[in-house]
Amino acid sequence: MDRIEKGRFEWVGANVSESEGITRPSTSYWRDAMKRLFKNKIAVFCLFAIVLISILAVIIPIVSPYTISEQHLTHTNISMGFKDPVDGHIHLFGTDTLGRDIFTRVWSGARTSLFISFTAVFINVIIGIIYGGISGYIGGMLDNIMMRIIEIINGIPYLIIVILLMMVLPAGVMTMVIAYAAVGWTGMARLVRGQIMALKQQDYVVAAKVMGADTKRIIFKHLIPNTLSIIIVNITLAIPSAIFTEAFLSFIGLGVPLPHASWGTLANDGVKVFQIYPSQLIIPALYISITMLSFNLLGDGLRDAFDPKLRR
Amino acid sequence: MNKILQIKDLRVSFDTYAGEVKAVRGISFDIHEGEVLAIVGESGCGKSVTAQTIMKLNPMPPARIAHGDILLGEHDIVRASEKEMMKIRGKEVSMIFQDPMTCLNPTMQVGKQLTEAIRHHQKLSKEEANKEAIRLLETVNIPNAKQRARQYPHEFSGGMRQRVMIAMALSSSPKLLIADEPTTALDVTIQAQIMDLLLEIKQKTNTAIILITHDLGVVASVADRVAVMYAGKIVETGTAKNIFYHPSHPYTRALLKSLPDTDMDRSIRLVSIPGTPPDLLNPPAGCGFASRCSNCMKICQTDLPPEFIIDGGHVAACWLHYENCPAELEGVKN
Amino acid sequence: MVKYVGKRLLYAFLTLLVLVALTFFMMRLLPGDPFLGEKVVPETTLKALNEKYGLDKPMIVQLAMYVKNIFKGDLGLSMYYNRSINDIIAQAFPYSFDLGIRSLIFAAITGILLGVVAAVKRGTKWDTAAMLLAVIGVSVPSFIIGALLQYFLGLKLFELTGIKFFPITGWNTALSKILPSFALSFSSLATVSRLMRTSMLDTLGQDYIKTAKSKGLSQKKIIIKHAVRNAIMPVITVLGPIAASVLTGAFVVENIFSIPGMGKFFVISIQNRDYTMISGITLFYGVFLVAANLIVDLLYGFIDPRVKLVEGKE
Repeated sequence: MDRIEKGRFEWVGANVSESEGITRPSTSYWRDAMKRLFKNKIAVFCLFAIVLISILAVIIPIVSPYTISEQHLTHTNISMGFKDPVDGHIHLFGTDTLGRDIFTRVWSGARTSLFISFTAVFINVIIGIIYGGISGYIGGMLDNIMMRIIEIINGIPYLIIVILLMMVLPAGVMTMVIAYAAVGWTGMARLVRGQIMALKQQDYVVAAKVMGADTKRIIFKHLIPNTLSIIIVNITLAIPSAIFTEAFLSFIGLGVPLPHASWGTLANDGVKVFQIYPSQLIIPALYISITMLSFNLLGDGLRDAFDPKLRR
Repeated sequence: MNKILQIKDLRVSFDTYAGEVKAVRGISFDIHEGEVLAIVGESGCGKSVTAQTIMKLNPMPPARIAHGDILLGEHDIVRASEKEMMKIRGKEVSMIFQDPMTCLNPTMQVGKQLTEAIRHHQKLSKEEANKEAIRLLETVNIPNAKQRARQYPHEFSGGMRQRVMIAMALSSSPKLLIADEPTTALDVTIQAQIMDLLLEIKQKTNTAIILITHDLGVVASVADRVAVMYAGKIVETGTAKNIFYHPSHPYTRALLKSLPDTDMDRSIRLVSIPGTPPDLLNPPAGCGFASRCSNCMKICQTDLPPEFIIDGGHVAACWLHYENCPAELEGVKN
Repeated sequence: MVKYVGKRLLYAFLTLLVLVALTFFMMRLLPGDPFLGEKVVPETTLKALNEKYGLDKPMIVQLAMYVKNIFKGDLGLSMYYNRSINDIIAQAFPYSFDLGIRSLIFAAITGILLGVVAAVKRGTKWDTAAMLLAVIGVSVPSFIIGALLQYFLGLKLFELTGIKFFPITGWNTALSKILPSFALSFSSLATVSRLMRTSMLDTLGQDYIKTAKSKGLSQKKIIIKHAVRNAIMPVITVLGPIAASVLTGAFVVENIFSIPGMGKFFVISIQNRDYTMISGITLFYGVFLVAANLIVDLLYGFIDPRVKLVEGKE
């Protein structure tokens, strides 16, 4: 070994702040999650698709030259991309058996279906958080009873309950919301309860308590950020389930009443004629599937982004 | 004595989401027949990664042996195929893990898990393997071995499960046993029993043991030689006596100082090591301990310290032992 | 174990009670009248009909009668068909059961296989392909898949080749059973495979897998003997809910493929406000699914040794 000059052996001593500085800059949980989400091209694309569909669902029925129930009796069951040489009417997606413009109807259906799903899931979340929160926070006997109630409700297939409710209540968009919201909250309630139960026992929450953090701080610093991510993922995955339920109910004849159009009723109309005019089924089917797919993929992306195990 | 295992300049990296984490950054050591080598260090220093790399247990990817050789007898582990590894694992070298509660398959009878290991390496009939399993359970002092073999892991206590793990590891009389923090998850009273059992086995079978731990108390009582790891490197090796009585690396010294002592003056507070270990995603250019070391010199921040022989097998990787190092600093270390 | 079984039985019983009460009160609260459809019915006829179905008695008497009949296993008369509901179920259920069980078995086996492959080959093309299939399965409702299969494999394939591979409707030949079973099973298959993948990944990360590997066992042996058996547990617990979704999914699939099963009757009874029929079928399905859930729970208790112990210690 060559001799090393003495000067390099000058004493420096410990520099702890530097050692702390070497460790990675700690990014905040949310910023980190968002960064990961935006790296996921599929999830970003799905988010974009959802936003686009939602905006168009609001705008297109307003700007469309046709209304959803307007009939063009000379042009029934025409195919996609039709342009009438006489009056210049353009039917982008063609018309149905009654000569109604499918493009207008499918976007209006988007409005109905999305409104039902968003509202129903929103109500679910509220009920779920309150129910699960009370159950998990208070615990003990009350928790036991509340969870047994959920267990019994879950013992019955939810579609059967929804069908029974739909029959009792007057037909309408809000009925659909209420029927779905009446059963959809159990999953969310269980989830919130589970999170709160788990967090209550987490060492860091106990530690925060021991160190004298007050309840408010624990709730805002620990409980909410940790539970929120799971709730967001769950919302994203609950919406396609609501869309499916709406479509399913419309399909078996319990859908929104006329003159409303929803994706389910459009699919139902489409099935009746699709062996001759397949596009009348395929168009609403594509809308339903693409929207559900986007929500599911976004939900998966969010779950991966929020999963702290993937951090590092 | 025969050399059982030779590790030369082993480097292991994990390719993660954030980049390449260099968990092990070039370590070398040997182990001989019937020897107990303890690898000590704080969590995240790479000791478990080293242990698992010897058996190629880390999932690859993300883990990757970036450089180096592992020679186990005549087997070249780094270049061995998965098929060859299947013959080596459990037969030449076995391992017991930190948490006995999670290391046994919860849905399989304990006896079955043992016979599975036995029959994989030895040509025995079912009944013979069964008998052998019961004999093994008896050697690790499990009472009612015959009935116990038919039970499931959850019917065993933590200490009992660790005994089962040891029985399983010994089933094919391996030349090397790796114990990765075998007592960390156990009660103190059980810890001593398990360590005694390991020593007893070593004496009976002349098996070499690599003991991975962060518990210096355990090391003092059983280890022949000790390797101290910090930030993916071995900073000091020597006999247990060398390490405990003449620690020559500032990290070893700090580690020993942080150990409570029964005849310590109550008025002296326990010493902790300020700061945190470096991030192995971007390891520092110089000595990994530099920023936490009270003897840190300019050179420590820029150049990796080579290994200095202190005395015979006692080696420390620290610039303080360089001949050009100023005397007053040498004074600091004593 | 006895306590575990007892607890499960109690829940099953309570669920059924809730279901009976629910169907009863729902039916009585319904707006409109089953006899006041499009046609105008004379006052006296209406009264006679109400009497016949017991709709003129006080609510509590009706409930008592209802419960009594249910315990006798008599679901009453269909108002629309004017036939015994038991009769209709006896005639239609075999078709639905056949369809449901085929779909369920197909979904469970294929789903588990896909999940295992995806987990073992994590991050490879296999994983991506299996999970893409799964997410499509979760996102495309069964009636759409059914209709598309019918159109492309039933109609177009016949038009193109001139050979009738798959009949468009019906449930008689083996070939005619393929498309509806597949359409019905697709979403369950997707659910099972996603769950199995997650569970399998979780299991593969467990310490006992490392132990098995350190014994020198081959990857294949580890997966089959150690991983799959443990990973399958959570999948078993969802088989009950999956059976429920298969049964309700059959409502639409049977309609699309014109299979004379319960689903078809159910949809017709909904469209005609056939109260007794709806409540009868609902109850029948309720009992059926509660029983299925019970069996799954008990099965789980037998398969997982830990359940036995936990209960035994109590």
